[in-house]
Amino acid sequence: MSAQAKLIMAVALLIAVGGGMAGYKSSKLGVPFWEGDQVNEWLVESRVSFLATGRDVKARLALPSIAVESGSGQESGSLDYHYNVEDDRGEYTAVWSSGAREDGQALYYRVRFKEGLNSGGEPIASVEKPNAPDVPKLPGSLGTAAQSIVTRAKNVAADPDSLFVALFEQINSGASSQEYLIVKRHYEKEGIANPNIAMGIDLLGLAGVPARPAYGVSLRDQNSGQIPVPLLEYYDGALWKVRNPANPSKILDGRELFVWHRGGGSLLDVDGGDNSRVTFTVVKDRIPLATLTDLQDSPLLVSTILALPAAERAVFRYIVLIPLGAFVVVLLRNIVGIATLGTFMPVLLALALLELPLVQGLVMFSVLVAAGLWFRFLLSRMNLLVVPRVAACVVIVTLLMMLMGVLSYQLGFSVGIKITLFPMIIIAWTLERMSLIWEEEGKRSAIVQVSGSVIVAVCAYHFMKVSQIQYWAFYFPEMLLILLAGILLIGRYTGYRLSELIRFKSFTNA
Amino acid sequence: MPDEPVTSDEKTVSSEHHWWHRWFRLPGELREMGVVGINMRNARFLLPNNPRRLYELVDNKLRTKALAEEHGMNVAETYGVVRTPHDANKVDKMLNGNESFVIKPTRGSGGKGVLVIDGKNGKNFVKPSGAELTPGDLRNHVSNILAGLFSLGGKRDYALIEYRVCPAALLTAMSFQGAPDIRVVMLHGYPVMAMLRASTKESDGRSNLHQGAIGVGIDIATGITVRAIHHGNPVTTHPDLGIELIGVQIPEWDTILKMSVTCQEMTGLGYLGVDIMIDETKGPLMIEVNARPGLAIQMANGIGLMKRLEPVVEQHRLKPNADMHAKIAFSQHHFRAKLPPVRT
Repeated sequence: MSAQAKLIMAVALLIAVGGGMAGYKSSKLGVPFWEGDQVNEWLVESRVSFLATGRDVKARLALPSIAVESGSGQESGSLDYHYNVEDDRGEYTAVWSSGAREDGQALYYRVRFKEGLNSGGEPIASVEKPNAPDVPKLPGSLGTAAQSIVTRAKNVAADPDSLFVALFEQINSGASSQEYLIVKRHYEKEGIANPNIAMGIDLLGLAGVPARPAYGVSLRDQNSGQIPVPLLEYYDGALWKVRNPANPSKILDGRELFVWHRGGGSLLDVDGGDNSRVTFTVVKDRIPLATLTDLQDSPLLVSTILALPAAERAVFRYIVLIPLGAFVVVLLRNIVGIATLGTFMPVLLALALLELPLVQGLVMFSVLVAAGLWFRFLLSRMNLLVVPRVAACVVIVTLLMMLMGVLSYQLGFSVGIKITLFPMIIIAWTLERMSLIWEEEGKRSAIVQVSGSVIVAVCAYHFMKVSQIQYWAFYFPEMLLILLAGILLIGRYTGYRLSELIRFKSFTNA
Repeated sequence: MPDEPVTSDEKTVSSEHHWWHRWFRLPGELREMGVVGINMRNARFLLPNNPRRLYELVDNKLRTKALAEEHGMNVAETYGVVRTPHDANKVDKMLNGNESFVIKPTRGSGGKGVLVIDGKNGKNFVKPSGAELTPGDLRNHVSNILAGLFSLGGKRDYALIEYRVCPAALLTAMSFQGAPDIRVVMLHGYPVMAMLRASTKESDGRSNLHQGAIGVGIDIATGITVRAIHHGNPVTTHPDLGIELIGVQIPEWDTILKMSVTCQEMTGLGYLGVDIMIDETKGPLMIEVNARPGLAIQMANGIGLMKRLEPVVEQHRLKPNADMHAKIAFSQHHFRAKLPPVRT
């Protein structure tokens, strides 16, 4: 069989397999093919992890009532644990228990709900009127300070709501009165997880307002491994209200925050384990729950990353984009003919850019490369050997990144901190190769190649940024086989590159 | 040899002038002129004819030189090879009194890392441009070579110290500072196209065309220069020296063709470029063999490579076992250029 025939066979096979699987998933299993076709749902996955100490294990995680009442909650992936949900007058708790265990353990619980205004933190009437709060015991001068804070706050506040806002505005502000600082320092010294919340609860208690901690999850897509957002629930005389102490005057918005646990009691209790913690992974899910269950039973499971716990899935969001970037590089190098520094450097640059606003990202890259290049030329005067010189470049790039992070933070651009996402080693090598080309072939070649890389990176960035394409890559990874077929075809393209049409423009027959 | 015109004067679309020729050419026009692009060169000529394992023979200059000497070819005399940083101090001993020499990486490509020394001034070394290098600078250059700075893929490398070619006066007259070299592109052992690369002030002693060197097309049949280009545009005289570039007879052309065919036979590569320099006293010396020769040669000759490669493919299919003389005769007969009047 000729090479040509083999290629056509391979391409046809890849397209048939990739397209067939995608078609089956879409038509039989009901995974929507177009991104806009479905209701957005949030998938929040809590992950309880702890180190078992060799005794019987019992873990209790408070659950949001919506999960149990609407049946959208789902325990997942906790091997060999006995699991049940405990119902205590409308407050639900997931309970996992098992015999003696050792080493790290992970338990998962997933909740799905429609994207909407409802945060689960709406004011609710109390079943019974809560007891007057315990007055916290604060020794000596602390007590006096706390008392005078409360008295002053009560003077300006008309009701528990405005008292809450007044107190937390002071607690949050850096420049508050001496009394606040004294009390604040006391709570910080105690080593409590959320000193501001504890302090707020005690101060509200002194003012006669019952309050207790609550926990929320920040609804930002692909936010993996986030810790619970500390919230505060207080009683205004008729209703229990939940607010975010970090932003005291704002009513909770269901589009940004989901209240996982309210109503007092602890979020997580683990017997027989140390270092227990709960983290949340939030994913915007576009596949209806019913479909997902079908999908997990189907033999196509191997082809879908949806079977993984959400925390592991989030990683793939970026990994599936790399082939797309590689495809753009192939296209631009072999069909268009843009010269780049290193073959796949542009893909890594594009991945880094995905995390930053494009313009800032490019500005930072240019500043980094320009500054790095200057240092690199200083280094070259010292006549160092190659490997130490590249290592020295890595150190300098690291320091430059820190410097830029700090500077941009000081100037008020928070994106500066994300600069660490630039692949440092890649930048060091870019500098090294660029300065070599600069010396060997002149600055024109060096600049042409770096700009070529940046242009390719920006194209790859725009391609990877298209949400429909991200959607296909993530929900239909088998479509990457079609991409592979395209790459194979380009691999046999023997026509002119676009750049050659220009290169040979003055070609004349002798 | 029968005297018949090889290229006919057919009027074609590509020879008409169109407004877009200022900016680009259409793919159809280039195809008609037989211009070969990078993708075409790689897919149709490099990949099928140059097995990967043979690259080592030409990517390592020490092996190429050893092979060439086995085949009785003239190469630049090796003064020494620096293999360890420690040896870098022995360069003086290796030179054995020779004041002019060349240091190059054994695995370099495209003239990267080649350092030419013309003579000495006290302890310092003098480059052809007149710039001086201290012994420390020289050692540093050698250690850069050893670390793999100039080699393909950054592999560790050796530094080769060899005879500095004194090009024949006829050729030095055509080049600003650097020594001009002759590149012959071969397919299946048939010389298909040749050019001479002469440096200019702009190219700073280098012979890379995209850095501003001049490419001078050479007629395969006679070894007479037929056409010259600078930055892709035809020229007739050297921009810095003013000397006529066209109609120059390259000396010992038959030897050059034979050396090129021998290079193909000894390496086994199907598609390759052979670089040759002509020394005033020693005659043609094989400098290096390139397994990925560039495409600028077709611009220097004003002929698309395809027009030469296709007949060779056909001839090779008909007579796979042709010997050196038959191959050279075929090329000289079929690839004869229209000659300008010979300069005396």
